[in-house]
Amino acid sequence: MTTFKYILRDMWRLLVHHWVLGLLTMITAGVMLWILGITTLFSLNLENLLSRLESELVVQAYLVKDNTLDVEGVAARIQALDYVYSMKVYSPSDSLAKLQEKMGSQSHALDMLGDNPIPWNFEIHVHNAEDVTPLVEALKAMPEVDDVVYAGLVVRRISTLSRISSRVALILFILAVVITALVVYNTIHISLYSRREEIGIMYLVGATRAYIATPFVLEGTLLAFLGALAAAGGIIGVYFPGITMLRANLPFLNHSLLTEKMVIIRFCALLAGFGATLGWVCSYVVVARFINAITRPE
Amino acid sequence: MNINFSGVSKIFEPDIAALVDINLNIEQGEFVYVIGQTGSGKSTLLRLITREILPSKGTVAVGNVDLRRMRSADVPYYRRDVGLVAQDFRLIPSLTVYENIAFVMEAMSVPKRIVAERAKDVINQVGLWRRRAMRPAQLSGGEQQRVAIARALAGSPSLFIADEPTGNLDFHTAAEVMKILFAINAAGVTVVMSTHNQSIVNSSRQRVIELDSGRLVRDEKGGSYSG
Repeated sequence: MTTFKYILRDMWRLLVHHWVLGLLTMITAGVMLWILGITTLFSLNLENLLSRLESELVVQAYLVKDNTLDVEGVAARIQALDYVYSMKVYSPSDSLAKLQEKMGSQSHALDMLGDNPIPWNFEIHVHNAEDVTPLVEALKAMPEVDDVVYAGLVVRRISTLSRISSRVALILFILAVVITALVVYNTIHISLYSRREEIGIMYLVGATRAYIATPFVLEGTLLAFLGALAAAGGIIGVYFPGITMLRANLPFLNHSLLTEKMVIIRFCALLAGFGATLGWVCSYVVVARFINAITRPE
Repeated sequence: MNINFSGVSKIFEPDIAALVDINLNIEQGEFVYVIGQTGSGKSTLLRLITREILPSKGTVAVGNVDLRRMRSADVPYYRRDVGLVAQDFRLIPSLTVYENIAFVMEAMSVPKRIVAERAKDVINQVGLWRRRAMRPAQLSGGEQQRVAIARALAGSPSLFIADEPTGNLDFHTAAEVMKILFAINAAGVTVVMSTHNQSIVNSSRQRVIELDSGRLVRDEKGGSYSG
């Protein structure tokens, strides 16, 4: 306990001695972790939106008009395809009734068609957007299938958007982590370098490496943690007003956005923990390397 | 704490022989002067004892422990038993006299109350209590040397290494420093001190180890120094 008090005092001395550098480190770490947090939340929301869109993607398969067709057999073969998540079978009469209901007061126009022109058809839901194209190809290869209707362009755009957003988020994540790590590493290195003579003396008069190193490691951890806390505060300050604005202007996004306060607060706590861990790892690495070099006997 | 050098040579890169085949034994409680011209290997010999450097050949043993085989984790604990005074004082500039001395005990996890008592004792011993709140830059060379001695005493070492402790001091201040070193030795602490000051060596006949170009040329009890 006594040693810990001395170590805390030394850490405080370090912070006071290099307060400008410490402040700059904290601000840089805070900005980078804020970018990291906002990017992650944006990415999660986009993932949510895309998942929802994907779950609403429907492939409509119309069979050829043939009274001798084994509809149940065709349905079983389609159901057996890997890409199929769920499937509904509509008879010609069900389909007509559905269409009439959709057309409402205009439904009398359908009477002019005479016989029901709609064949047996299936409404197929897929697991995700990437399953649509192979499913369509498989359906078109079946002789019993006359036509396949699906939102091909939408599917391709959703898939592309999903891929790009994942990559951009990953690049920003790596960039933010690398920059934060470098800033903390350099700050602690400068701190160590400015006290290299002192460190040599401390070791010479009997201070252990751990006693010398711990204040520097704590300094780096604290700076990154404070930066992460500031970033978390910034995220909460920006995210909720942003979400409120989006929901007011784009109501169709309502069910696709992360809005639960507890989830966001937990995410911010995780970010603060991540910042502290990053600070600890960087400081530990630089301090271990520096002290090893300075205390090694010739 | 006895010190034993057995066939010790130290060669610095690229090929500078600082010490060549040194064999000597220093017993617990002895006062030893290490003399010789500048570059004769005095500081190298002392730095081998403090384990700042390792021998290129041979064995340096302190208290029957071979310093080469000592684990790096044990080095701080060894150094706590070795009081070191360097010619350039090696004080921490950002700390006050009191903090420089207290620091050694803090690193040993000594409680604050005991640190305060012991620091007061050793600062009084070197006569600097009134200057305890000053930083090294505010002190004269002699005062800084006394702070370095007080710091070396703070951990109650059983071996005291002084590398030219009077090198930067006038005659009067040097005599004061020597008084302190003799008092330390009188308490049973082994003192090994390097110097090229003839009058100091000649004023108190102690064991003299003379080095010349890294070789041991004289080891004499009650010896003198004629330069």
